[in-house]
Amino acid sequence: MDNVLGGVLAIRLLAACFPLYDIFHDDQQLTSPLTSYSRLREGVYLFKNGLDPYSGGVFRQSPLLLTLFSTLLPLSPVLSPLLWTLCDGIGAWCLSQIWKLRRSSESEQRSRTGLIVALYLLNPYIFLPSLAQSTSTFDNTLFLVTVYSACAGNVPVALLSLAFLTHLSLTSVLFLPPIILLLLHGPSSRLSKPVMFSGYKRALPLALQASIYVGILALLSTLATGNWTWVSRTWGASLSLPELNPNPGLWWYFFTEMFDYFRPFFLMTFSMHLLIYVAPICLKFQHDPLYATFLLQGVFATFKAYPTLSDPGLFLSMFSIFPEVYPYLRNPIVTTLLHLHASLLLPLFHRLWLSQGTGNANFFYASTLVFGLANGFAVLDAIWAGLRIAFGTVNDGVEMVQK
Amino acid sequence: MNNEQFEEELHVRPLQDGRVYTNFVFKILLKNAVPRSANTLGSEDEAQHYTVFPLALGQIIREYAVTELHLSLNAGKWDYASWGYPDNPSVGSGAELWAWMGEGDEKRVSISFDARWQGLRNALAGLFCASLGELDERRTTSPVYAFQPDGDLPAESMNLAYAFHPSENICTENLTPFIKLLPCKSRSGIASLLNPHRLFDADWHGMSIRVLWRADEGVEVQLGVQAVFDPIRLRGQQKRDWDFPHIFDRTITRACPVAYSSTIRVDLPLSGPYTLTPDPITAGNGTAVFDVMSANKPLDVSLLYLNEAHFTYPVDPSPQTDLSIARSHTGTSQAHGRFHVTLTNSLNHPQRVAYLETPPWIIKFYLHTLTVTVDQDPRPRKDIIQKLTYIPTSSNLPTLFEPTLILPPNSTVHLTLDFDKTFLRYTEHPPDAQRGWDLPPAVLIPLSSNGSSAPPSLPRMYTNTLLVDLATPDFSMPYNVIIMTCTLIAMFFGNVFNLLTREFIAIKVA
Repeated sequence: MDNVLGGVLAIRLLAACFPLYDIFHDDQQLTSPLTSYSRLREGVYLFKNGLDPYSGGVFRQSPLLLTLFSTLLPLSPVLSPLLWTLCDGIGAWCLSQIWKLRRSSESEQRSRTGLIVALYLLNPYIFLPSLAQSTSTFDNTLFLVTVYSACAGNVPVALLSLAFLTHLSLTSVLFLPPIILLLLHGPSSRLSKPVMFSGYKRALPLALQASIYVGILALLSTLATGNWTWVSRTWGASLSLPELNPNPGLWWYFFTEMFDYFRPFFLMTFSMHLLIYVAPICLKFQHDPLYATFLLQGVFATFKAYPTLSDPGLFLSMFSIFPEVYPYLRNPIVTTLLHLHASLLLPLFHRLWLSQGTGNANFFYASTLVFGLANGFAVLDAIWAGLRIAFGTVNDGVEMVQK
Repeated sequence: MNNEQFEEELHVRPLQDGRVYTNFVFKILLKNAVPRSANTLGSEDEAQHYTVFPLALGQIIREYAVTELHLSLNAGKWDYASWGYPDNPSVGSGAELWAWMGEGDEKRVSISFDARWQGLRNALAGLFCASLGELDERRTTSPVYAFQPDGDLPAESMNLAYAFHPSENICTENLTPFIKLLPCKSRSGIASLLNPHRLFDADWHGMSIRVLWRADEGVEVQLGVQAVFDPIRLRGQQKRDWDFPHIFDRTITRACPVAYSSTIRVDLPLSGPYTLTPDPITAGNGTAVFDVMSANKPLDVSLLYLNEAHFTYPVDPSPQTDLSIARSHTGTSQAHGRFHVTLTNSLNHPQRVAYLETPPWIIKFYLHTLTVTVDQDPRPRKDIIQKLTYIPTSSNLPTLFEPTLILPPNSTVHLTLDFDKTFLRYTEHPPDAQRGWDLPPAVLIPLSSNGSSAPPSLPRMYTNTLLVDLATPDFSMPYNVIIMTCTLIAMFFGNVFNLLTREFIAIKVA
């Protein structure tokens, strides 16, 4: 595994030497207003020159990133690619460790970790936003660190990194229930042997601990910036959608075409829509919280407010740690082809619309619909396979269906 | 009539490219008057009785306690290189409104500054039939160096509100109420030359209303019309002779009886034999002055260039101003762009200037990309910009970008700044969405050097307006988009619901 990790990281560093950043840095599939590197630089520049970066509507990153990049880590054309590559490497390493913790008793783990690391680092949905230096790389890395610490049973690190992740991306607060279940129940694969979960009383102190961490970080953010405007600019952006920049998600065109009278209702509906998947998936997959986390990540990647390509990319890469469900996937080829279709059309139609002017917004919107369909198919297939595996192989002439 | 005085003047200046610049100024002075303080707005105002001072305008400025007001409505692009400086520096094309009003003490003032600014805009919009209601908080800023008061300000704390709407141009319905404010209307005096057919055909035309207060004189209203006519185009032959019937299609038949003075100043050409008829009262220092009251009526001033069968346009015209500014934007994407500003200083000494840019919220600047280079040297310079006042855009408010620069002598300074273009909502797009949005002109304000108390000698300059192309959604699609997205979400939700809630059963298929 280490050879593979080292090799692929070297390839990534080599790729960072080419001026690919200049091509990708403002690409709207790879970056969003919440994750763009140009906006991060703008915020740090304003902060260093004494202006409140949250007084304008350009900077929407968390104050934690603002303070990190204005004091400890300078943003430079040489150091930033190194930092992003390092984050990718940490994420890949965490993913391979999650696999090892899940399969603690089997021997095939040795040969597979290299494949897992390669599937994470070489997934174009993940390394292209990383080349564009979008901060969604930090989101992915923090998510993988959270899940790895939860699998290892390390309560403070898991909850603290979840708190950091919540500050970078508000939708991630919905990962708290499955992470708590993961801390209490462990990562071993129990998909084929489901049992009821009985330790709900122990969940409450963990939830309190997580909210204390989030609160402390919020207070630190307020101290750093001097006022509370960062809340409406960063967290409020996911809820009120102030910027309608195109991205691979479904919210932007819906709210572009929405009349103002209905906007608050539909904003509330779309936010509630993300909320309603947490409890059912956690309840149904309480015997395997790691799988529940994986499924919720897929749901949020498809339906969150400002997604980039790295969110579904993480979902697809995480498929590699669940090889037990592969025989039970119903339509992997359709999903793959839909993804191929969408990933080729998204940049093409984006360029036709905004750069060339020969297409219009509907072209790009249609390709985001196909992309949403591809991600939806992937999640639905994963849910079916995760449930079907409990019944094992059946005799010829018999099929397991849902009535 | 002792305490009101009406003066009118027409200034005519031939330009080097054969055009003629005319500037009508109608000044009405209300002697020893003092502007109303914002603190007295709660109580009833004293009665106002005017004879020549325009009552409609007087009521407006007292109603909103305005000390200094400048409104200009212009159409066309002022060519500084060929035409030099105008008499009235407000030549940005569009509607420009700025006012100095008192803040008032917090406890005593009954109407807030913003409410008075809104009232002022709407009242002026009603008076001049112009869409000045568009100059709301989406286009209003408070620059720091630009637009210092031309007159005096009282001792209380005063604030500046400045708004520009580049898409609002001037037309006849603005000129008619303007003429109604004059004591003699357009029946007599110099105002009888204001012929809308010719005025709005001019290459550049604009009208301005200025209200100032001078502590030793009183409140002065200056109503002005500037226009640049092209006698060559009007004539159809390549001769630049002009006279009043030729450019205005009118002559002055009667003098205004209530005018204190009524003069016409003609700047004499620098070269060539010419004939100026009728004989002026005085002719010296390159200017001929006519007195309308005492001249023979109908008064028709004409300038003939002798020995000039054809007028030849200057091949390499010398720039008529010492500073020049040009602004453009580049970028082929509807998501990003870049501003380029070129400032040229032809003087032999460094010149300190302020540059004001107030784009609306559709443009989001990336200030960290601001690069300053001088002449052809590609290395960025850090010493050109002295101070930068920057208020970034938020929600619907405009950006305020006002750097103070020192332009090196005999050099050209290039500024580049990247920006993002906003993606607007369906309802925010104007009816002609594919045309794009106009950006207000940038203003270049020459300042006196650091520590000097002398007022700057050069007037402010305006750039052209820019047209920004924003991405538009498909306007025929709101229903379709909503149903398609909701279908996708509902199908996904339905399938997840089914998968999670239904039981598994084994069935025989063979």
